[in-house]
Amino acid sequence: MTKNDMFTYLLGVDGDIKFYRMGQLAAEKHTKYILQIEKKKDDIESALTEHLRINGAYWGLTTLDILGNLKAVEQEAVISWVMSCQHESGGFGGNIGHDPHLLYTLSAIQILSLFNKTQILNIPKVSTYISTLQNKDGSFSGDKWGEIDTRFSYLAICSLSLLKSLDKINVEKAVEYIISCKNLDGGFGCTPGAESHSGQIFCCVGALAITGCLHYVDKDLLGWWLCERQVKSGGLNGRPEKLPDVCYSWWVLSSLIMIDRVDWIDKEKLVKFILECQDFENGGISDRPDDAVDVFHTYFGVAGLSLLEYPGLKAIDPAYALPVDVINRLFLK
Amino acid sequence: MSEAVPSSYLDPSSLVYQLESILESDPLIDEVGFVHPSQFASMSDTSHANTSDMDMSFWSKDHKLGISTESIHPLYIAAKNAFMSSLQQYKMLIPLHSKKVDNISATSSPLTGLENELMKHSRALLLLSCDFGTAWNCRKEVVLSKQNIRLYLDELSLSSLVLSCSPKSERTWSHRRWVIKMIAGKCTNLEEILKNESDLANRIAEKSKMNYRAWNHRCWLVSYMPESQVIDELIKYRDWAGLHVADNSCFHYRTRLMSRTLEDSWYKQDLKATEICQLWKEEITWSEILNKRYIGREALWLYRRFLSVCWMKHFAGHSHTGGSGTHLDLFVENEIKLFRSCKMIPDNVFEDYQAQAMFAATYIMWLIKEMDEDEGMRRRSVVEKVGEEVEQVVNKTLDEVVGNRLHQLFNLEVVVIHTKL
Repeated sequence: MTKNDMFTYLLGVDGDIKFYRMGQLAAEKHTKYILQIEKKKDDIESALTEHLRINGAYWGLTTLDILGNLKAVEQEAVISWVMSCQHESGGFGGNIGHDPHLLYTLSAIQILSLFNKTQILNIPKVSTYISTLQNKDGSFSGDKWGEIDTRFSYLAICSLSLLKSLDKINVEKAVEYIISCKNLDGGFGCTPGAESHSGQIFCCVGALAITGCLHYVDKDLLGWWLCERQVKSGGLNGRPEKLPDVCYSWWVLSSLIMIDRVDWIDKEKLVKFILECQDFENGGISDRPDDAVDVFHTYFGVAGLSLLEYPGLKAIDPAYALPVDVINRLFLK
Repeated sequence: MSEAVPSSYLDPSSLVYQLESILESDPLIDEVGFVHPSQFASMSDTSHANTSDMDMSFWSKDHKLGISTESIHPLYIAAKNAFMSSLQQYKMLIPLHSKKVDNISATSSPLTGLENELMKHSRALLLLSCDFGTAWNCRKEVVLSKQNIRLYLDELSLSSLVLSCSPKSERTWSHRRWVIKMIAGKCTNLEEILKNESDLANRIAEKSKMNYRAWNHRCWLVSYMPESQVIDELIKYRDWAGLHVADNSCFHYRTRLMSRTLEDSWYKQDLKATEICQLWKEEITWSEILNKRYIGREALWLYRRFLSVCWMKHFAGHSHTGGSGTHLDLFVENEIKLFRSCKMIPDNVFEDYQAQAMFAATYIMWLIKEMDEDEGMRRRSVVEKVGEEVEQVVNKTLDEVVGNRLHQLFNLEVVVIHTKL
């Protein structure tokens, strides 16, 4: 039975049941879905995404934690696998045998943070790997091959902050570079002059929030651009004229929260949009209603609902993208 | 048991070998696609395509290559294994070789053989998994060790091929930028290369709408372009933009190009100033035509926000436009007129007209917000002139989420205006 059939069926039997089913988060199903993809390694989707499996692990594990089910995974096995993705240089690859990159290094640190295990890292080594990727103008390369992007600034700053090693880089210059990527519309792009994009905005605002530099953001102007991302269905898009997509429930929403403008969107409608993207049969959340689910959108959907204070979910920190209790455990002890 | 399993399925490594041979035998292949096996039959009937008799994993003709969707999985596994095992050997061999830096590389050395293997396997792998960063990286490693401009250009060809089936692949675009950075100082035809890059990005943007990665690559090229090329790009692609009015990225590209003309070295030279001013005038007139012709296009209104703000800041109040304050007044007057002509919502309400009215209203609010602090008087007079009409438009769409949000914004805007007056 497809999702659509099921809805028709439910509606046919009892409109209220449909409303009831659609109106809430299928938390148990999502837990099951994530636990099942964690084990699956030999289907074509897992094969073709194996180079970023560590990102997938972070998305899945964080979702489980927000749902209150992190205990359902074998912690030891996950940690030893994460550590086997580390290179001599200190950086992490997306999987065993894959080259290191900041994209995967942050995910590794976030996973270890979820399990309260960052102490097993050789912190000076990891932070040296990250700090050597900073360029003279303050920007960061993603790896030794030199591609520059404000996403990499966020990855570096978030990683170092979680390791309490921000003093290893020139924070002032890093902030200066991020500010140089601000556009006239109030948004941010990946390099100076690049088009504003919600994902990039999250990275820039997140990095500025972590470094205590949000005063550089024109909050009204950026808030204006961000709330114009909400479309009629209640969903958020990532750029003008694009379709809504659940992943922007995270990127746009967390940015709006960080700059204190979240009341500028219709939160109720957004909750409804996210809930409509669930697969009620097999668990998981998709980008838009009736599309195929994946772990990426499942995470962004659940994390978005957490930001919207959906009942029964752990609160998530909008800058670190980790549960608030994980962040408190790190910084308040 | 599944039926009719082609024999090569039993030996995936022979599939990789086939793929590599096809690529090797026709270096001019410029497009790859994934095709369902049922489509192969119809493709073969009408042509003398080069399909293997053993199975239907590949199809190639006229420098186009089709790969069966059924073969992707086994092919990927085999290509990855072949690549990873060569990479491991390469990594063990490299430290031995780097010790004797000066040796004139014998073409038959084990290292060269291994490098060839790596290039072959990574090419096959990347066609199947375009963001497999480790494969792109090892290609960089090999090319870097040779320092041969032709090899760099080969990398541009391979990444074009990958983009033909994976136009949004970030790693593939990034690989191109690496190549261009490496050859920027070394080749004599950089301008031509940049032109080709821009054309490629344009072709891909045509097929894959609002492709952020493609447009971002194109924006990145702008900083390498000489002034004449910036102007050429603006003129050459104006019609294209007029046909893709919903593509925000395409208008952002124009934003990037137009911004470059505002760099100090450009428009502050007296001679050029008039030329640049003329260019801006034309762009603003053209944008107004599009705004009126295509109803309710967000990207067009956002582009006009950019043009207006820059026009007010750099031209309308400056001497090379031939006037001062009055020019600004005339400009603002024109924009109010534009708003009024766009705010009408016909009785048989179409969504697009509502959107058009809303975008026109937010556009005016934007202009008010962006007027200089010392423009208090002008700001006040604009609010007095159209404030009520803007609010009416907002109220008309109030039951929509859009209306709600606008109302909130408008209240905010009134507050901002009042506190700043």
